[in-house]
Formats: sequence, C-alpha cells, structure tokens
Amino acid sequence: MATTLKPVDVAVIGLGATGGVAVLPLARAGLKIAGIEAGTWMDPHRDFHADEIFNNIRREVTTSPKAQREIPTVRTGPGEKARPAAAHPMMNAIGGTSIHYWAQSWRLKAWDFKTRSETLQRYGAVAIPAGTTLEDWPLTYDELAPFYDIVEDEVGVSGVAGNIGGKLTGRGNPFESPRAKEYPMPPLRGSGFTDHMAETARKLGWKPFAPPAAINSQPRKGRSSCVYHGYCGSGGCHVSAKGSTAVTTILEAQNTKNLTIFDKAHVTRIETDGNGRVTGVRYLRNREEFFQPAKVVLLAGYTYENSRLLLLSKSKPYPKGLSNNHGQVGRHYFGHWNSFVTALFPHDINTWYGLPAQGATCDEWADDSFDHSGMGFIGGCSLHVYTERHPIEGAAMNTFGRAPGWGSAWKKFIHDNAGRQSNTYIQTNTFPYETMYLDLDDEITDPLGDPVCRINTGGMRENERRSTQYAHTKMEQWFQAAGAIQVVKTPPFVPGVSTHAYGGTRMGDNADTNVVNRWGFSHEAPNLGVLGASVMGTSGARNPTLTAQALAWRTADYLVKNWKSVSS
Amino acid sequence: MPDEHDLTRRDLLVAAAFVPLAALTSPAQTGPLALTSGQMKTLEAFIDRLIPTDELGPGAVEARAQVYIDRVLAGPNANEKAQFLEGLEAVNAYAQRTQGAPLADLPAEKRDLVLKAIDEDTAQGLPQGRQFFNRARRLTLEGMFGDPYYGGNGAFAGWDLIRYPGPRPAVDAEMQRMDAAPAPYHHSAWGTQYK
Repeated sequence: MATTLKPVDVAVIGLGATGGVAVLPLARAGLKIAGIEAGTWMDPHRDFHADEIFNNIRREVTTSPKAQREIPTVRTGPGEKARPAAAHPMMNAIGGTSIHYWAQSWRLKAWDFKTRSETLQRYGAVAIPAGTTLEDWPLTYDELAPFYDIVEDEVGVSGVAGNIGGKLTGRGNPFESPRAKEYPMPPLRGSGFTDHMAETARKLGWKPFAPPAAINSQPRKGRSSCVYHGYCGSGGCHVSAKGSTAVTTILEAQNTKNLTIFDKAHVTRIETDGNGRVTGVRYLRNREEFFQPAKVVLLAGYTYENSRLLLLSKSKPYPKGLSNNHGQVGRHYFGHWNSFVTALFPHDINTWYGLPAQGATCDEWADDSFDHSGMGFIGGCSLHVYTERHPIEGAAMNTFGRAPGWGSAWKKFIHDNAGRQSNTYIQTNTFPYETMYLDLDDEITDPLGDPVCRINTGGMRENERRSTQYAHTKMEQWFQAAGAIQVVKTPPFVPGVSTHAYGGTRMGDNADTNVVNRWGFSHEAPNLGVLGASVMGTSGARNPTLTAQALAWRTADYLVKNWKSVSS
Repeated sequence: MPDEHDLTRRDLLVAAAFVPLAALTSPAQTGPLALTSGQMKTLEAFIDRLIPTDELGPGAVEARAQVYIDRVLAGPNANEKAQFLEGLEAVNAYAQRTQGAPLADLPAEKRDLVLKAIDEDTAQGLPQGRQFFNRARRLTLEGMFGDPYYGGNGAFAGWDLIRYPGPRPAVDAEMQRMDAAPAPYHHSAWGTQYK
C-alpha cells in the first residue's frame, strides 16, 4: 500500500540537466516543488578523482543503480531480436549527467528550427532526406534566444560571441545566430596544440573559434575557475568549475525553501484521473511505495526514460500509455551521429592536460553554412579538436600501421607517439525517420518486471552518411595542413544507445505528429510537461544540453505565467 | 527492487578496493588473490612478452601489471575471472603442445612464437585465443598505465614510458604549450603511499 505524501504544486521527475534547471524559476515564483530523483548527492571529495581507471574504465562517476538496471536494448527494427546495450550512458544523481559531461554548451542555429522549410525554399523537395519525419519546430531561434541568455547566466557559460545583434564581432563563430550580448565569461584558454590548429584553420581561410562551455573560465558566483588538469570527461569536477545543475540551479532553488528533494526514489508510474489529467507520481524508495500528489507533473528523465515511463503509465484514459492516444510517444527518436578522425603528428602535441571543451571548432561544414546544391545531402558536421588524453587511452592508441601491437617495437612506438595523436569530435546534423523509434522491449525487463526501453535504429541513413563523409574530408584537410603525417577516417556508424538521444516526445503544434505543444505540455494531458532533448525535433551539429535547458526554463516560465490554467 | 541497503555500487567498490591494498604493502606474505601461483607464473610469462623490459625501461612484470590483473579478477572484474583463467590455461596447454613446455618454462623467443600465433589467430586448437589475447593485452595496459593505487604502474614506469606527465591538481598555460615537457609528477590521485 502506497503512502500518500503531502500534495505539492509541481512534481519534477529527475533532477538532472533539465529538471535541475526548471526547478529554479518554479521555486522563485513560490511554487512548492517535489524534486524526485533516482540518484543522490555526489560528494566531490569522495567521488571525483584524477584517475582514468575510476572515471573512464570503471565509470564510477557515470554508473548508477537505477539506470544500469534498465539498460535499453537495441535493434535495427521489427523482425530482429534486440540486444541490451553494453551500459546505460547516463547517470542518476542530483545533477544527473551534467556532473560528468563535457559541458559543451551550444545554442542551435535559426536553421535548426526551420530545417524543413529552409531546405524546401533553398533546394526544393528533392533535397528532403527520404523517409524523414522532419518538421519545423513550433518556435523559432528568436523565441528561444532569451532563455538561452538566462540559462547561460545561471549555469555559467564561457565563450566568445561571433554575432551580436546581427553584427559579426570578428571573433567567435561567424555562423552562429545572433546573440543579444557577449557570453557571461570569456572562453576557456586554448592549449598550444589547439592554438596551432586554430592558426592552421585561419590559413585555410576558415574561421575557428573557442567553443562555449558551462565551465568557469574565471571565478564566478562562488565557484572556482577551471584547473585544466585533464580529468573532466566522465569525471566530476573536484573544484566545481563545471556548471552542473548540482552546484548551480538546484542549490539556488533549495535556498528558496520551496524545493524538497526526494532522492533514491525510483519513479514507477505517473498517475491519472478519469478525465485524463495527471494526479501525481508513484515511486519506490527503500522498497516502500509512495504516492506524491501534484497539481502539475514535469517529466525530466533522459530521452529513453521519458518515453518508457509514459508507455508504462497506462490508464483508462490512456490505454496505450500516457499522452499516447495519437501513437506518437517514442516516435521521431534519433541518436546523434558522431564520428572520429584521428591524426598522427611528427612531434609532441602535449594534449594530456586540458579538457574536451578546450579546443578549436570550425563550423564551415555544418548545418547550412555552405551551399548544398547538388551535394546529395543536407546538414553537415561541426569539427572540433580538443585536449585531455589519459595514459591508458594513450598507450592503447592506434599504431597507424607503423608498429606491431606488442613487444619492444610497439613499446618504442608508444614511447615516441602516445603524446602525438589527436582525436576529433565530429557531430552530424541528424534527423528523425519513420523507421527510427523507441518502444518497450517484449522480453527484457528491469528487476520490477517493467519492460526496458527498446531502441529501433532504422539502420544506415544515406543523408547522414554522406554529410559525415564530406566533413571527414575537410577534417583530413585541416590535419594535413597542420602538419599531420597520417590521418585515419573512421567510417561513420549508426548510433545505438547514445548520450545525445533526441525525440520520443517531440514538440510541435500538430497533435497527430507530436506529443507536446510549443510550450512543452502534453497535447493530451494538459497538466503534464516534458523536459529534455526528447522534445527536440532536430539535433543541430552540436551538443544538446544547453538547448534542452533553455527549453526547460521556457516550459517552467510558461507554467509560472499560466499557473491557473495549467494547474486546474 | 530498489536499493536494498542504500549502498551504491560505488560505495561497495571503494570499500572493496581497500582490502587488497592493505595486502599489497607486504606482497611477500600473501599469494595472488584470484590466480593460483602457477597461473600467476603463466600470466607473467605472457605479459612479459607483451611489454618486455628492455633499453626503454621496465616492462609489464616489473611494473606489476600482473598484480593489477589478479586484483581486478578477484574484485570488480570477478565476472570475467573464469573465462580469463580458462583462456590462460588454454594458452599454457598450447605452449606445452607446440613448444614442448609450459609457457613459464620457455625462453623469450619461443614465448614470442606462441604469442604471435595467438595474435595472428593461427594457433591450432585455440578457438578463443585471439579473444583472450585482446583481453589480456587490454588488462595489461590498464595495469601498466593506470594509477598505482590499483597495484600496477610500479614506480610510475608506465607513465614514464609514454611520457605522461602525471595527474597534477592544476595545470597552467605554460605546461600546455606544444613544446612543453612538464617534469614527471609521480603522484597517485589517491595519496603518496601508492607508487
């Protein structure tokens, strides 16, 4: 028998990158919030270490009990048996994956919001990728821009503006959409190597820039600046320079006394009444069951869990799952394509220290930065070179066909070359397709007996394959111009389980093809909102977090301003 | 079911990690944790050829990669222990069959022949040989180049070999120049007692 708790105004499911942001405007407005989180607080002293085995091999900062008990399965599509992914890539904790992410904090571009109409206008219907379910977003970049401004300030983003109010600054990214003002902090510094790559790009006529990151480049709001020590990726920040929601917006929200955090709480269902309104959240904590009544529920799990929890929450008004009477939950899912080009230099490049967000980025070959006429694809890739290299990773490097894999000759090779290899991070504009979706696995369950999320990847996509291969030739050109003696292009692959997973609860005006409306609230259950990249209909060629956070703030802001109509 | 004891997997691992560490400070008084002493000899004979001691410095055995491997098979990687040891025994049997002696009794050149055949997947009667080779190589790299806290990378030999300058608490711009060669920082992230 579930214990019914004291009712609250808003129950937020998940206090990660997006739920952790949304609680702040709600709390400031005086709403009483229950933050229901599967993980708990992490302790920088106990949990965050400059240790590759701890962070990157045992993944002690990224694994957590709930997520690892419900690892999604992956298959191409119907007729194929889905297999569990190796691990769940996201974590449960207060702050969620914003604790250990790379913290690259990008805005999308105006084009990302209107890709379909812009493509039709510029290239015609023939250019729309076959089988895509791509729609324009129901909002424009300009409508989201003020919320990007707010979140950049609240979590603390460093960077350099390329376009302020439509005027190019001559610094920063000239391809970005207009910003109202400069970033809250200057960009992170470059390293010798990333400065060299930037200089090379300029010689090619490109416009490299230091990319934005939710990492302090200088002390700010009581938090230290980055120490560049080389253990940022998959590790927590021991000096709290990284703007995870655990050290920014969640703390601020707690200070208002309006946010109560219920940690180690495994949400099992969202409950509804006979009229199709949600009534609260059911969860387990220490084997005890609780029901948290709420006037409004904001679902802020990761993309896989958002669709899964809706599909599991069946009721009389929603026999196919909550907010799924139009059959759209799980649809328009896609995992971000990202791929790799590596280079070997004839001299040390000294990228051991630093962090993945310390780098040089070029946007010439992303989005619609170049004319795609006759190219056979739309979109492209951002190209990013960066620092932070760990010793086991260095020793395990590709030998570029220049040495055997063991013995004294190999030992000599890594002695010389472990510090001479550069990796890249190449993110592709990725689109949703008919054959790509999330549903519930028909065999594999979590220990409670609830089916896990099943990813149907739909297989290879010609558009994304072509745009990625094109960008790889540009990355090769960049490396060669910088003096690399060998470049290896890893063929692009269809993502399975992904840290950049989009869709499943897409945002749009049309209830027949979207789960939530332009404000992030369900088309069917009016007091249910959904937060996260699961509402995004395009990916951009860049990391999703800041956009998901700006959307989350906007949904919370809408709720505050329309409290009466949404909550009753 | 939800967490039974409110203990995260991390708590358990950290707690577990401290037990064998105490044992390591007096290695003479304790045998291997997951391997038999015979298996330990075979493992050493194997990884000694993966990363040999030579003019560039200590190899895997001198850097105690075998201690790391033994310890992870006894602890966090226990689920692969049986398969790993089966693979190791199969390699030993292959050495006996083709070179006339257990791996640990063979000279370096003959052990190299064994490793080469397995690496190139030409070893007869050793269907899982390549899989074992890759896993053993990977664990050897972890042992040689990981933090000494976990038992390997003795005297920081792995980090010195690849010229990794060490996990400094903070790094300035000078240390990130392309031509900078920061002095080796021989510190475990877990304290100066690990080396």
